[in-house]
Amino acid sequence: MQDRSLARLLQTPAVVLLLIWMLVPLGMTLFFSFIRYVLTSLRRPEWTTPSLDNWRGLGNYQFVWNNDGFWLAIYNSVLMVGSILVLTVVLGLAIAVLINRAFPGRGIVRVLLISPFFVMPAVNAVLWINMILDPVLGLQGLAVAGMNEMIDGLRTFPLLGGFFSLWPDLEPISFRATQTSAYAVIMMVTWQWTPFAVLIFMTSLQSEDQQQKEAAILDGANAWSRFRNLTLPHLGRPIAIVIMIQAIFHLSLYAEIEIVSRGNGNKNLPYLIGEFASNNIGAASATGIYAVILANIIAIFLLRMVGKTLMD
Amino acid sequence: MASLTLRDVAKAYGSTRVIESIDLDITDGEFVVFVGPSGCGKSTLLRMIAGLEEISGGDVSIGDTVVNEVAPAKRGVAMVFQTYALYPHMTVYNNMAFGLKQAKMPKDQIDKRVREAADILDIGPLLDRTPRALSGGQRQRVAIGRAIVREPEVFLFDEPLSNLDAALRVQTRLEIARLHERLGSTMIYVTHDQVEAMTLADKIVVLRGGDIEQVGSPMELYERPQNTFVAQFIGSPKMNFFNHSDLAQTAPPELRQVDEDTIIGIRSEHLSLCSAGEETLSATYELVEQLGEHALVHCTTSGGTEFIAKLDVPPQSGRDVPLYLRVSPDQVHLFNRETGLRK
Repeated sequence: MQDRSLARLLQTPAVVLLLIWMLVPLGMTLFFSFIRYVLTSLRRPEWTTPSLDNWRGLGNYQFVWNNDGFWLAIYNSVLMVGSILVLTVVLGLAIAVLINRAFPGRGIVRVLLISPFFVMPAVNAVLWINMILDPVLGLQGLAVAGMNEMIDGLRTFPLLGGFFSLWPDLEPISFRATQTSAYAVIMMVTWQWTPFAVLIFMTSLQSEDQQQKEAAILDGANAWSRFRNLTLPHLGRPIAIVIMIQAIFHLSLYAEIEIVSRGNGNKNLPYLIGEFASNNIGAASATGIYAVILANIIAIFLLRMVGKTLMD
Repeated sequence: MASLTLRDVAKAYGSTRVIESIDLDITDGEFVVFVGPSGCGKSTLLRMIAGLEEISGGDVSIGDTVVNEVAPAKRGVAMVFQTYALYPHMTVYNNMAFGLKQAKMPKDQIDKRVREAADILDIGPLLDRTPRALSGGQRQRVAIGRAIVREPEVFLFDEPLSNLDAALRVQTRLEIARLHERLGSTMIYVTHDQVEAMTLADKIVVLRGGDIEQVGSPMELYERPQNTFVAQFIGSPKMNFFNHSDLAQTAPPELRQVDEDTIIGIRSEHLSLCSAGEETLSATYELVEQLGEHALVHCTTSGGTEFIAKLDVPPQSGRDVPLYLRVSPDQVHLFNRETGLRK
């Protein structure tokens, strides 16, 4: 007992610090979410100071629940996190397996592959939306224009020209538009985070037992079967880690959304919080609590899946 | 079951030649052991037979077919690896069934074969476990089982006992010998341990530096080693080499006759204590390793040659007192000093 209480005593400062770190912001958010609290109001100046007198009960939650943007924000959060996870894991696996073999210049290729991860999210978004996805000046615009020009040329071709005349002109996609801005964000974040997945998978691939693979070759397994039955199970744990870490990070995407469309048609929960927080702290806090709940649902879901992999 | 023939087989990595040119005939049902120090190319040779290494030159034939360009799985060989190389995410059953599933064999037939193999190896109760939950010896059995179910023409073992502890090694060695009796298949076994080679083999192939030094039955190699390398590699402790000058005046006349260019090889177990005047060698000893049934006595001749004598009773006299040792002349091996070849 003596030893244990000493150990507890020694742990106390760290635990208390962590508790303060966690509980104070959470408590304040909870408090704000139950009161009327705005930054400026000419009509009701008493709402500008947080106080129990302004108690609103679940009013903020109801307000957010009925807000037009709320369900879109939840849908978008899940869509973006889910798509990015699937894309980064699939691409990451493919690239990691591809560069796992020895080839000249492997070192340079690896460094180049990792480099997108070092680009700041805001810079990444600016580069993509302006230089690559822009319908006029970006690579996309240039490519579409070039193809249209080529088809145009083919239309004047003696015999087959008639066939090509049936083809419509290609339309470049505007990724700042309401319907497509989420896809732009998914693309740029996938580009940025695939290297992370590659890095984790690559280190894990290097610890793969080569004799197991040889045994499988002797057992008549082809490359796909070896990947499916040996490499993929071997990568179970790193895949779980990549999914966990990325889920945490991508639930709080902000910079990319801001730069691509300023939230036009593509708000996620953090973005919605940001919008509310420009004045209505009460609603922003309520949204924050909703975000915590969503994160927990996803976390429980992931932990189930990941925990199983990590256990065995 | 099948015979196996190597003709002029060579292996090179770039310009480095690992295996020069090997000719070898293995008859149907034979247990052949490749033995040699590390880096002698024995594992490479085995992997070339398995198809895991490309063959740079020559032909490998299994039965009547040249298999150089045949895919490993189609060669009719099965291999047991040093690290067992079991599939860690599959149960023992699935480990053994994997190769058959790849070959698209019907389920009931797979089941039959796996259970038969499990019976042979006594691993029936382990079928639902994963390799993680097995001991080293059990893993080794599963690895052997995985080879058995494929009913290969040739079994290949790549140092299968190196990762086991001493007691288990002896036991598993026996089991492999029994397995060979029972299945009667051709088996090729790679080891660096000459004891394994001696106990298991019908035929031992001693390799050094990518070349065959000698091929023969264990007793042929023990009794008539073709050169100094084989002489010292087979047998434990290794064979002692003496010069003409180490011999005593009273040595048998046929030994006294040998010239300076001859290495005189005498195995430790063939030396015995004798009284002064009958000795072949006289020496002083520095160290006695007492092994119970016999003792290894580390000695030095007056000429400064160090050697080991395996004696039933360790010398009782002091270290400065000369030991008199004799050997029967027909147990002496003579080698040419320059070429190392047997005379």
